[in-house]
Amino acid sequence: MLRNLLALRQIGQRTISTASRRHFKNKVPEKQKLFQEDDEIPLYLKGGVADALLYRATMILTVGTAYAIYELAVASFPKKQE
Amino acid sequence: MTHQSHAYHMVKPSPWPLTGALSALLMTSGLAMWFHFHSMTLLMLGLLTNTLTMYQWWRDVTREGTYQGHHTPPVQKGLRYGMILFITSEVFFFAGFFWAFYHSSLAPTPQLGGHWPPTGITPLNPLEVPLLNTSVLLASGVSITWAHHSLMENNRNQMIQALLITILLGLYFTLLQASEYFESPFTISDGIYGSTFFVATGFHGLHVIIGSTFLTICFIRQLMFHFTSKHHFGFEAAAWYWHFVDVVWLFLYVSIYWWGS
Repeated sequence: MLRNLLALRQIGQRTISTASRRHFKNKVPEKQKLFQEDDEIPLYLKGGVADALLYRATMILTVGTAYAIYELAVASFPKKQE
Repeated sequence: MTHQSHAYHMVKPSPWPLTGALSALLMTSGLAMWFHFHSMTLLMLGLLTNTLTMYQWWRDVTREGTYQGHHTPPVQKGLRYGMILFITSEVFFFAGFFWAFYHSSLAPTPQLGGHWPPTGITPLNPLEVPLLNTSVLLASGVSITWAHHSLMENNRNQMIQALLITILLGLYFTLLQASEYFESPFTISDGIYGSTFFVATGFHGLHVIIGSTFLTICFIRQLMFHFTSKHHFGFEAAAWYWHFVDVVWLFLYVSIYWWGS
C-alpha cells in the first residue's frame, strides 16, 4: 500500500512533455519558483548574470551617451572672460 | 512578507522608462545628425538602445505575468483596454495619410494634369502583385484564427503550425512588397502621387514588420509553454494587431491601388 503511494508520488513529480518533434520541456514551474523567491533582487536583475550585463550595457549606452552630448554642448560655448 | 488585499498590480520601480526616454532622445538627435551632417553613429546608437529597452521592458512584463502571477482578471482587463486604445490611436495615425491621399486625388490640380493618376505616372497594376499581397494577408488572418482556436482547444501542435504559417505569410508579404518597391516605375519624389503612395504603404509595411515580430515572440512563448488554453492575452493582443494591419492593407488596396489607378 505504502509502496503504491510512493510510486504515485514519483509519477506526479515527473515532468510530462507533450511536445512531439522538438521535445521542448516545460520549464515554467522552475521559472515561477526562481522569480518568486523572496530575495529582494529587483525583477530586471532576478534572472541571473545575463540580466546584469544587459542592464549595465543599456545604462552605459543611454546615460553615457546623453551625458557625453551634454558635455559636448557645454564645451561648444566659450566661457565669458571677466 | 506583506501581501496585498486587492487584485491589482502595483508595479515595482524599473529603469526602462528612463532608458526608453533617453533612447528616444538619441534617435531623434541621431536623425538630425544623419540629415544634416551625414553621420549615422548617433542614430544607430539610438536604435540599439531603443531595441535593448523594448526587449528588457517586455521581458519583465512576461516575468510579472507568467512567472509571478500578477496578471489577474482585473489586470488583464486593463491590458485589454490598453491594447484597444493603442490600436485605435494607430487607426487615427493612418487616417491622416488616407486624408492626404483623398485630398489630393479627389480634386487633382491643373499642375497634375487635372486627373488622377497624374500625368507621367504609370501606376502598378492592382491585379498583379498587389492582389497577391491581398490574398496573402487575408490567408494569414485565417491561419491566425486557426491558431487561436487550436490554443483554446489545447491543441499544442496545431497551434504551433498555424502560427508558423501566419508568420511565414507575413514574411512573404514583406518580401513581395520589397520587390515591388524595388521594381516600381515611380519614386517617392514623383510629386504628390509618389509621396502619398510611399508614405502610406511604407508605414503599413513597417507595421507588418512590427506585427510579424510580435507574432514571432508569441511563437517562441508558445514553444516555452507560456500560454494556457484560458490565459494567453499576449497572443490575443498580437492577433488583434495583426487583424488591424490586414484591415489597413485592405483600405490601401481599395483606395490607392485600385480606385487610385
